Amino acid sequence: MSSSNTQTQANTPIFSRFGQHRIAFKHSLKQLWLTPLSTWITLAAIAIALSLPAGLHLLLQNLKTLTDDKREIPTISLFLKQDVTVQQARDRAELLSDLNEIDNVLLVTREDALEQFKQLTGFAETLETLNENPLPHVLVITPHMQLVGDPGIDLEKLARQLELYSDVDVVQMDIEWVQRLLAIFRIADRAVLVISALLALTVLLVIGNTIRLNIENRKEEIEVSQLIGATNAYIRRPFLYGGVWYGLFGGILSLVIVHTSLLFLVGPVNQLARLYGSNFTITGLDVKATLFILIVSSALGLLGALLAVGKHLRQNTIT
Amino acid sequence: MIEFKDVSKRYPTGQIALYNVNLTIQRGEMAFITGHSGAGKSTLLKLIALLERPNHGKVMIDGFNLEQLKRHKIPAFRRGIGVIFQDHHLLSDRTVFDNIALPLMISGMQLYDIKRRIHAALDKVNLLGKENEFPMMLSAGEKQRVGIARAVVNKPSIILADEPTGNLDPALAHDIMHTFKQFNDLGATVIVASHDQLLIESMKKRIIVLQKVQGA
Repeated sequence: MSSSNTQTQANTPIFSRFGQHRIAFKHSLKQLWLTPLSTWITLAAIAIALSLPAGLHLLLQNLKTLTDDKREIPTISLFLKQDVTVQQARDRAELLSDLNEIDNVLLVTREDALEQFKQLTGFAETLETLNENPLPHVLVITPHMQLVGDPGIDLEKLARQLELYSDVDVVQMDIEWVQRLLAIFRIADRAVLVISALLALTVLLVIGNTIRLNIENRKEEIEVSQLIGATNAYIRRPFLYGGVWYGLFGGILSLVIVHTSLLFLVGPVNQLARLYGSNFTITGLDVKATLFILIVSSALGLLGALLAVGKHLRQNTIT
Repeated sequence: MIEFKDVSKRYPTGQIALYNVNLTIQRGEMAFITGHSGAGKSTLLKLIALLERPNHGKVMIDGFNLEQLKRHKIPAFRRGIGVIFQDHHLLSDRTVFDNIALPLMISGMQLYDIKRRIHAALDKVNLLGKENEFPMMLSAGEKQRVGIARAVVNKPSIILADEPTGNLDPALAHDIMHTFKQFNDLGATVIVASHDQLLIESMKKRIIVLQKVQGA
């Protein structure tokens, strides 16, 4: 072709391409601004679809912190035989604390136990009448939390092993409730995952359809651009930016919805926690989760736009 | 040089637009394609701009067979050709400036150069001062001249015009033809499809007559 045109081609790379990106960037934002009603409706649909899994995730994360409460750590109590001395109990505690499955071993001597019993039950005078302390030494064992949450680890087996020690009289598990709770969390995690996947698909379809409508509105421009030599990348570019904007702004709006709802709940939840003597407080999404939501929502927007504009170009490419 | 060798084109509807066409247009030549309605004038131009593909034969530009042009190179090829359509194909929601800027933006030109080129193109078609007007505010002749400005702003080596004076009065039509002659004088190959015999004869350039295919 002509020399001038060849020059234009040669000058196209990086700097000019950056210029084309800048134009597409501004143009796509302007398109959102020029159609505020449809933009807000689309963003609201995306934000609601995203805020549901984000909210459920947040709820689960907060509930999981209940098991982090030090007073609520599940334990296994080993009641030692009556003839076991304090030193033997201390030795047993030290040996047990070396086991991989065990995080911590606390020795409650029979003297301490009696004292606690007196204080808790109010039977101090009655207990004074006894000739000897009827309570045994107790080892309060805390297994590693990750073992408690792992269905592959048989804590019953651990308990049976502990029962085999000659100085152990009774093993009492105080752990089933945590195992049940963690099992429920596992189910809830998967339910949130399924809901998230379905709603992500919804977001993809909403954005894809919105971009498809934008393409329909700009069909003439696309056709003219193709006639005068626009590449598919040039035609695709503003729509891809548009998809990313929908995803990103929808994601931001969903975070606003989730955190506003959270603020609404903080007061009553804190009050309830205080009534149970707990320090539990609701916390918001951390930076990692926030970034994850924004990246995923933007990626969904990009993918939705890519599918919509790709389909149009496949069906409408001239020759 | 543009060459047609045994070129035939049949549309999916069964209509035969061109049958066994052989023709050569030299580089820098100005030629008129004429013939009755349906004779294949527009099809011939579309084959040169790769807006259509022949069913048979070869269309060659400077010895290169367009059939061998890879799909991803078609946009760059089209940017080397300026096409003027009878119905303008102007974007109604864009100003004159934005319409003419489109091929330059597609070529990745910088804004400063775009402004400079548009100013020069508008000067050539006598539309300076109309940059900020929208197509609906222009007359038919002005719209056609905007179309011409958009086609030539990228300085193409080949200019194709499909019935560019179809809706214009004779004086305006002559002005438009004179504008094409000026581009041809600058070295561009100009091919104009027109059925206005009087007008094209007055230009004293080569005239190629297409006959309508019998039974088409």
